[in-house]
Amino acid sequence: MSLLRYESQVREPLVTGAKTYHQVTEDIIRPIEMKPSRLWYIGFIISVGLLCFGIWSVTMEVMYGVGQWNLNKTIGWGWDITNFVWWVGIGHAGTLISAILLLFRQGWRTGVNRAAEAMTIFAVMCAGQFPIWHMGRVWMAFFVLPYPNTRGPLWVNFNSPLLWDVFAISTYFTVSLLFWYSGLLPDLASVRDRAKLKWRKFMYGLLSFGWTGSTKHWQRHESLSLVLAGLSTPLVLSVHTIVSFDFATSVVPGWHTTIFPPYFVAGAVFSGFAMVQTLLLITRKVLKLEDYITLEHIEVMNKIIVLTGSIVGVAYITELFISWYGQNPYEAAAFKNRWDLTTPYAWSYYIMMGCNVLSPQFFWFKKLRRNLLFTFFMSILVNVGMWFERFVIIVTSIYRDFLPSSWSTYYAPSIFEVGFYMGTFGLFFTCYFLFSKFFPVIAVAEIKHILKKNGESYKDDMTQVDQQPVEEFAHEHAHAH
Amino acid sequence: MSKKYWQNFGELNHSEAFQQSAKDEFREELPFEGEGMAEAKTPRRDFLKYVGFSTAAAAIAAGCETPVRKAIPYLNKPADLTPGVSNWYATTYVSGSDVVPVVAKVRDGRPIKIEGNELSTITGGGTSARVQASVLDLYDTARLRYPMANGQEVSSLDAFDKMLGEALTGAAVALVTPTITSPTTKQIITEFLAKYPGSRHVQYDGISYSGILSANEASYGKRAVPSYDFGKAKVVVSLAADFLGTWLNHVEYQKGYAKLRKVGEKNPEMSKHYHFESMMSMTGSNADERYTHKPSEAGIVAAALLSAVSGQAISGVSESVKKGVENAAKDLLANKEAGLVVSGSHSADVQIIVNAINEAIGANGTTINWAAPLLTKQGVDADMATLIDDMNSGKINAVLLYDVNPVYDYFDGAKFKAALAKVKTSVSFNERLDETTALVKYILPANHYLESWGDAEIKPGYISLMQPTINPLFKTRQLQDTLLKWSGNATGYHDYFKNFWVAKLGSEEAYDTALMNGVIEPAAPAAGGAAFSNAKLAEATAAATAKKAGGTYELVLYQKPVLGDGRQANNPWLLETPDPITRATWDNYVIISPSLAKTLIGVDIADRQQADQFEVNPGKPVVKVTVPGKEPVTLPVLVIPGVEANTLAIAVGYGRNAQSGRATVGAGKNAYPLAVNGDFNVSNVSIEVVPKETYKVAQGQTHMSYEGRVEVVKEMLLAEYKAHPDEIMEEREKELKPFGGLDKFTAEGTIYPNYEKPGIKWGMSIDLNACYGCGSCVVACTAENNVATVGKSEVLRYHDMAWLRIDRYFSGDPANPDSIQTIFQPMLCQHCDNAPCENVCPVAATNHSSEGLNQMTYNRCIGTRYCANNCPFKVRRFNWADYTGADSFPNNQDQTIVGHLDDAVHMMNDELTRMVLNPDVTVRSRGVIEKCSFCVQRLQEGKLKAKKENRTLTDSDVKTACQQACAADAIVFGNVNNKDSEVSTVRRENKNRLFYSLEQLHVLPNVSYLAKIRNTEMETGGKLEKPEAHSAEKEGAEKKAEKEHA
Repeated sequence: MSLLRYESQVREPLVTGAKTYHQVTEDIIRPIEMKPSRLWYIGFIISVGLLCFGIWSVTMEVMYGVGQWNLNKTIGWGWDITNFVWWVGIGHAGTLISAILLLFRQGWRTGVNRAAEAMTIFAVMCAGQFPIWHMGRVWMAFFVLPYPNTRGPLWVNFNSPLLWDVFAISTYFTVSLLFWYSGLLPDLASVRDRAKLKWRKFMYGLLSFGWTGSTKHWQRHESLSLVLAGLSTPLVLSVHTIVSFDFATSVVPGWHTTIFPPYFVAGAVFSGFAMVQTLLLITRKVLKLEDYITLEHIEVMNKIIVLTGSIVGVAYITELFISWYGQNPYEAAAFKNRWDLTTPYAWSYYIMMGCNVLSPQFFWFKKLRRNLLFTFFMSILVNVGMWFERFVIIVTSIYRDFLPSSWSTYYAPSIFEVGFYMGTFGLFFTCYFLFSKFFPVIAVAEIKHILKKNGESYKDDMTQVDQQPVEEFAHEHAHAH
Repeated sequence: MSKKYWQNFGELNHSEAFQQSAKDEFREELPFEGEGMAEAKTPRRDFLKYVGFSTAAAAIAAGCETPVRKAIPYLNKPADLTPGVSNWYATTYVSGSDVVPVVAKVRDGRPIKIEGNELSTITGGGTSARVQASVLDLYDTARLRYPMANGQEVSSLDAFDKMLGEALTGAAVALVTPTITSPTTKQIITEFLAKYPGSRHVQYDGISYSGILSANEASYGKRAVPSYDFGKAKVVVSLAADFLGTWLNHVEYQKGYAKLRKVGEKNPEMSKHYHFESMMSMTGSNADERYTHKPSEAGIVAAALLSAVSGQAISGVSESVKKGVENAAKDLLANKEAGLVVSGSHSADVQIIVNAINEAIGANGTTINWAAPLLTKQGVDADMATLIDDMNSGKINAVLLYDVNPVYDYFDGAKFKAALAKVKTSVSFNERLDETTALVKYILPANHYLESWGDAEIKPGYISLMQPTINPLFKTRQLQDTLLKWSGNATGYHDYFKNFWVAKLGSEEAYDTALMNGVIEPAAPAAGGAAFSNAKLAEATAAATAKKAGGTYELVLYQKPVLGDGRQANNPWLLETPDPITRATWDNYVIISPSLAKTLIGVDIADRQQADQFEVNPGKPVVKVTVPGKEPVTLPVLVIPGVEANTLAIAVGYGRNAQSGRATVGAGKNAYPLAVNGDFNVSNVSIEVVPKETYKVAQGQTHMSYEGRVEVVKEMLLAEYKAHPDEIMEEREKELKPFGGLDKFTAEGTIYPNYEKPGIKWGMSIDLNACYGCGSCVVACTAENNVATVGKSEVLRYHDMAWLRIDRYFSGDPANPDSIQTIFQPMLCQHCDNAPCENVCPVAATNHSSEGLNQMTYNRCIGTRYCANNCPFKVRRFNWADYTGADSFPNNQDQTIVGHLDDAVHMMNDELTRMVLNPDVTVRSRGVIEKCSFCVQRLQEGKLKAKKENRTLTDSDVKTACQQACAADAIVFGNVNNKDSEVSTVRRENKNRLFYSLEQLHVLPNVSYLAKIRNTEMETGGKLEKPEAHSAEKEGAEKKAEKEHA
């Protein structure tokens, strides 16, 4: 008779290396208590350097005007909004992992959610820079807030997708931050409790908001997590939907497309997971967390990448089809400006196609899904592709729109546009380095939740159970709970 | 007594504790948490204080004060001046020998805007771009500010007079001026020269019309230019005469030509314009049929036309030109006495042939009026040549130069320069240290025309008076005063002038009236022909047709319609206004044909990819053009269809010296020296590419074709129009049918509610048949609305700020220059009733007024540029940098790494130049979007005027700047809710030609266009490279509309 399986064999263990609860704490929190490695310092200094370059670039732009960028009378948005949408897209994975996967009870999320959430917050911080600093008069940016005023009162324009952005992004940021931070509380308390230095005890004491680990705390914490997960789930879908409205509600051929909301959301998840891969592959290596961020995690995420990448691919092809099928000459021309190899920006369209549609298809092969180096390479490629997707949508649509008289000269970024983009990388990685130094990059408490059921030691135990004769198994089973 | 309720026992018993607590504000203890609150080191109040203080401190520390500019009110207000209210003075624009009667708007003591004088029957209120821009020349920073001798400032005018009195004693003086049209000045010159025996007055026009003058002397016995009445010419044949742009009295011709170009619905007729030329001129681009030939064949073409009108066989011309000549001759003969042939040739022989043609078609006395010849061009080449010889031989000891610059614009400037060095006393009255003035000993800068008294006789009896609108800004003196002084006449010119005209007009009242009106004109216009003689024709024909082949490549020098001869070359408004044909700014360049481009620089503009590469990249290949015996010129190339295969064209007026002004420095190269003996058609030219060198040409528009987008701009043939007058309307109806059709499109083309628009609703209608692309409206808009000059470097970055631009599209086969058709479309904010820019602004900085204006609130704008992206017409302009010095941050025009601002921008920000700004219009600061406002300041003024007079608004109350500047009256503006307004009438009476650009988008523009009608049989339309794609795309659009409906 065949073996009865107590444990599904589809899931591999999510924590390898037969960890005990103490070991988990040790593994994850010890890096916080140690001096950072040389690699950390090098990385941090480079990040801060990039950040400074960015600050200088933005300073020049604010001082001398947006003319410091190479935008022009036809191309009102270029790298600025491309980068904005790109970063916002990246900021999607974190909340998706935390919220939607929490609601769907996906245990594997615990290994990656902390870092992914942190990434989300930093990415949204980076994204937010662009709509703010792309303004011609950034010192008047507060006009976008609907506050009671003495100008009439003069309200914001609730018809404008840019205003929807303000609400969407700020809500998303707030909820993500709360979610991330509330998840951190038990772990911060652990760090506090282990701390030997006085300042460390004090700081982490402040940060952990007096967490004692009482059952009441845990109960409230769980409820809060569920509430926030419930709140963020629609946000994951709404934020990029609203970002896509910036384009979809306009009249510009190539922007004015009803397919944008789902297409943008899929793209966002796609790029977000790619970014999570990039970061975690480095983090697990540098902080030696291979037992917690396992190949299983990597593979699962690669599956999401191939899924969302294919959705995006279908969206591209649908768009292209509709531009022909719709027989709107202006839309057809806008798309011809992408696919026609003789046009000036066709190269960007094919980079996009290559990186986003073709390259993820390699992940149909399990071998490649589980190949770390290949995954890393692909994660970079996907984000290059997704950057070009936004560039293609924004620039190749507006550089030649309705009136041929206004068709633009060739647009390439100025040093300050590049600098601003680099600067957001600086901001992102500075934050991430600080985060990895001062906060547990893996949710210790949550790992412990799943350790019993998904840890390797448990799986080993269960395998033994599985291999028992039926009677013994039935006996065990009867007594198991 | 009512019953009293008690709340507690304390109240009932009236206990002591109760009495005590009743006095307290809070009867119960306040629920402070814990004990420490009141004793805390920083109690709540202190905390609030700290917060308040630190916020205030941070605000003060961080607060960037906007730079303050002080306005000081009058201590004693001049009687005729009310701050904020403009005065208008009639005066006369005189630049070189160009004369246009104008009215100057003077605001708070400074002239800020020039309009045409509508009382003049010659120009009828028309202006050119140069006239519009001339007010800026008044405030030019490069103007000389005091008299100079040997490079040193002379302390006073008296000292200068004394110095010159000695220097001129006993000298034989030559006074060199452009054609003088002023009767008083002529008299003064005569009196002055009489004092110096052996002296002479030489009239020298940089752009010489010597050929016409001598030809007319031969044919009509008059060394003069007749009046050409284009308004009567049903058939116009131009042999390379740019009569709408630069030729002779072009403002007058624009007005006349327009009369027969506007196609009415009731009588759909228009004049027919044939054009034969080598390059693509603005006038040529407006022609119905255009034929190209080599520049050296100008005489042969003229002779062929003469043969054709005389019924003889044509020979020596290409097949296409032959066809053109035959057609032209046929039409000329069919419309005898209603035809006109003009030629831009410098050769007297060609002009004699043209005179014979005009005689043959009965133009003499009908379209050519000899009773009122044009007096503005009288310079004869021979006079100048003689003068130079005499200067060289020492017959002339003193040269006085007034408003001429032969070192720069004489074809042999070097020779003049050498001769000038031999003259003992040289004096210049030029206003700047130009090429010639830099070489003279004495400089006494003359006034700008806006600072001067004067008069101009454009045609006999047609006087336009000039009066100052401002005190001289600098230590300058007008020529007439100087000459009077130097001839020992104690009378000042003002008195002299007044006495002259009072005597002429009979009374002081008549003089005052004339000064107020600005023009004096005969009661009945004189008309008539002149006796014609064919004596020299045979000789001229022989000479003109004998001209040998001019080598492989030939060169045409031309004036740009905007910049002209280069006299106003330091005018940033003119330099930044794109050329109508090339759309290029700030430079001159070599125009080559598409076929030459293929072989010379390897660019095939019929190939999409190559054309794309060429157009998106402002760096153009540089070529060296060599004319035998002349210095070679290296310039970038631009490829323009419609240019004869092996003809090159270079504009004159560029390449000025550094002292001529900060704006013109580096703008192009001087092409005048390439003219051989003053002839602008040059043969035997060689051209070679300078390897690996490129030069960036700043174009305001880079694409040539409208890609068959008939929704953008519409054109049709006259025959089609006659056969199916409502074709355009049917097309529109078909397109809009699924959305309610023409009538209900506004309401049914949207899912949103439709609002009534009562009261005033501003609207504009532009007749594409009357728009020649000349650009005077563009400059007028710039002047009226303080539109910033951004300089070449910023135009290169596609950052120009023009609120109004003239889009130019070519169609036809680039390989066949004769097939090229051009259409101009003035493009400005369409003030859409359903404006896509309005709903995307997050802060509602752009919104719709109750009068249908799409208005921009600059101080609400935060500069997201979303509106500009979403504008289908791309008319919104963003202030990329601090172009105006109006920024909240001071001193931020010194960027070095990216976006370096040209000196022209700094010049425009000079305290002096800023005096030209219109105080009614906000100067926009960096970071905000701006765009056409329909001159809202004028609308407000007009409304107030009507209100004060307690009447309804009429058309005459409001005119936009562009509308007023247009000599052809292509633009009509007014209240469309008023059924009697001009704009309503035009729209009603031209229903069949009416269209709205991109109407299908349901943005509901308030600017309508009247389709261009071409009086030809040639196919119109679409793409430059693939004319057949046109109809396919159109069908596509229709299908789409139907599908959407289904």
